[in-house]
Amino acid sequence: MIKEILKNLAGRKNAIAIPDLLTMPSSEAPNFVNLHKSVDRIFCRSLRIRLVDAGSCNACEWECTALTNPIYDIQRFGIDFVASPRHADVLLGTGPVSRQMELALKKTYLAIPEPRLVIACGDCAIDGGIYRGSYAVANGVANVIPVDCYIPGCPPTPMQIISGILRLIESLH
Amino acid sequence: MERVLNKAIKIKEHLNEQYLEVKKDDFKDACVYLYQQRHAILRLMFAADERQIDETFKIYAVFSIPGIDKFFIIVLSVRDNVFTFPSITKEIPAAHWYEREIRDMFGIIPEGHPDLRRLVFHDSFPENSYPLRKDWHISDTDLKEWGEGIKQKVPYKFMEVEGEGIYEIPVGPVHAGIIEPGYFRFSAVGETIFFLEPRLFYTHKGTEKHFEGMSFFDGVRLSERISGASSFSHSDAYCMAVERMAGLEITEKAKAVRTLLLEIERLYNHMGDIGNLCAGTGLQVGYAKGAIIKERIMQLNERLTASRYLRGVNVIGGVKEDVLLKADDILSTVDIVTKKYKELMNLLNGSISHIERLENIGVLSEDIALRLGATGVTARASGINDDIRKAHPHLLYDRLEFESHTMARGDVFARMMVRAEEAECSISIINALIENRYKGELTVEVKGIPPYSSAFGYTETPRGSVFYWVMSDKNGMPLRVKLRSPSYCNWPAVPFAVHGNFVPDFPLCNKSFELSYSGCDM
Repeated sequence: MIKEILKNLAGRKNAIAIPDLLTMPSSEAPNFVNLHKSVDRIFCRSLRIRLVDAGSCNACEWECTALTNPIYDIQRFGIDFVASPRHADVLLGTGPVSRQMELALKKTYLAIPEPRLVIACGDCAIDGGIYRGSYAVANGVANVIPVDCYIPGCPPTPMQIISGILRLIESLH
Repeated sequence: MERVLNKAIKIKEHLNEQYLEVKKDDFKDACVYLYQQRHAILRLMFAADERQIDETFKIYAVFSIPGIDKFFIIVLSVRDNVFTFPSITKEIPAAHWYEREIRDMFGIIPEGHPDLRRLVFHDSFPENSYPLRKDWHISDTDLKEWGEGIKQKVPYKFMEVEGEGIYEIPVGPVHAGIIEPGYFRFSAVGETIFFLEPRLFYTHKGTEKHFEGMSFFDGVRLSERISGASSFSHSDAYCMAVERMAGLEITEKAKAVRTLLLEIERLYNHMGDIGNLCAGTGLQVGYAKGAIIKERIMQLNERLTASRYLRGVNVIGGVKEDVLLKADDILSTVDIVTKKYKELMNLLNGSISHIERLENIGVLSEDIALRLGATGVTARASGINDDIRKAHPHLLYDRLEFESHTMARGDVFARMMVRAEEAECSISIINALIENRYKGELTVEVKGIPPYSSAFGYTETPRGSVFYWVMSDKNGMPLRVKLRSPSYCNWPAVPFAVHGNFVPDFPLCNKSFELSYSGCDM
């Protein structure tokens, strides 16, 4: 085993093996590895996200679930989705914010300890998307709580969500 | 009893839809006759504000009789001055939610309904405000207060269970996992669930009203965003409704593409759902394997249509993308998926601790499923052989050979096995579809939407049957778009299935139904 470790050290083998199914444009690849380093540096290897569905069609949620599958495996970067807002650093909001979810979204936001960040994920969360103008929606997360980062897409692919999180982290420099 | 139907006036017959208008006194008898004597299934029930045509609101109750490819639609006119209609809930429990929804949306009261609490709107929504009426307005203050949710304008009374040792566990609307919002109130005795009352509609986005503000052609995009993982089936049913209304017959090729993508959608949903059940029992390896299979199909979707959720393919009059050109890619992916899927099922069937967790929990009896009008996998796992692909063949389903699978036991295990068998069936349909060649262009020209006409569109989503009913106004714009997602029918069944189970088993039961909150809440 020691021999193996030495071999790896000497060979500078990339610690993060990229699974076959992980498809991404070559320009994205360095970001993917950078994510690891950024989380290490700024969040001491642990960035915790609380996802709040504020009226999305559930596609954004499925893509966030996909982030935790063995292909994207976002946990290896120290990023994870948590059950309680009390454990979270970031609130990831999806959906156009239906009126009946406004209060719950606000309360979840306030339950996250400061300093806290907010990501609006998906076209609906940015400005209401296709639901913009309906009587029952607040046309985006920013109309209810302050937003630090937007991830466009309907729904954004797992890769787009990862690069969105990276952008948020970089903006903290 | 049959006399009741003879008294009805046949107002319209369009394709397989038969509209029968009845008088107010006969409405209940006609519905009950179809339900009890002919064993008809209540597919959906809705109202429409047709005051611009004949000064009336209309109530539509849509039935289909097993074995007959026809919809019997009982129509009742409600005049402006008496906003009531006779409730059929006591005789046909499946009408329970539909009637409450009509009350919330139109202010037409179902007389004799046993539970007239609000369904869609929560406490801070103003009283006597009915969004789907054409002359509805809401003030900015009311909207603001609705969002703030502090002023309780119409308080909702939860059902109360009293007795020694009974305590309540409130959960939600924001849940622990990455799932949609809903509120559950358990009344438990120790660990055992005695009663569960779900309160949903947190994600109500005013979708039906929103449809009325856009043209039928723009509506396709909205219909794709009603329930994420059923994007394609929803838009397919919507397009079908508009095409039937406009008298369009799409080409064989477009039909083949739609059928193929419907089955691919079913396949990725069932694969993911079988995997997700493993997350509920703590079998991480099964969850991971299911997730990988699903991801493979999602990536195939992206290669085929540039959208992981098959969005942007359907248009009124056909499809935009000829995915049959990429048959090799589909075949090779489906081959790998089939292999991996068999591995997964072997693993699951060999894992006693997994199977044991699934057996005899969350049991939904056939009787209750039938009475509540459950649909899709939920119904078939409780022994009801109902599949819209068979009952009302559309697209190429009448030409394809496939079986609809049922299981009688109605527990979580049955729902998993029905999914597994349906997934295999989807794989064989995909293979059969690709073998053939199909004639025709991708789209047919749309000449326009005729004024004041209406039609149904329907299909079988991975969760059950979805229905759209569209009606145009005098300019060919939407007068009413009614959508009924499968989750809307299946949600009322959940409290019955979890009764007597342990609270910690609830997530597993809930997952086995795989319900969409967004689709239900509209």
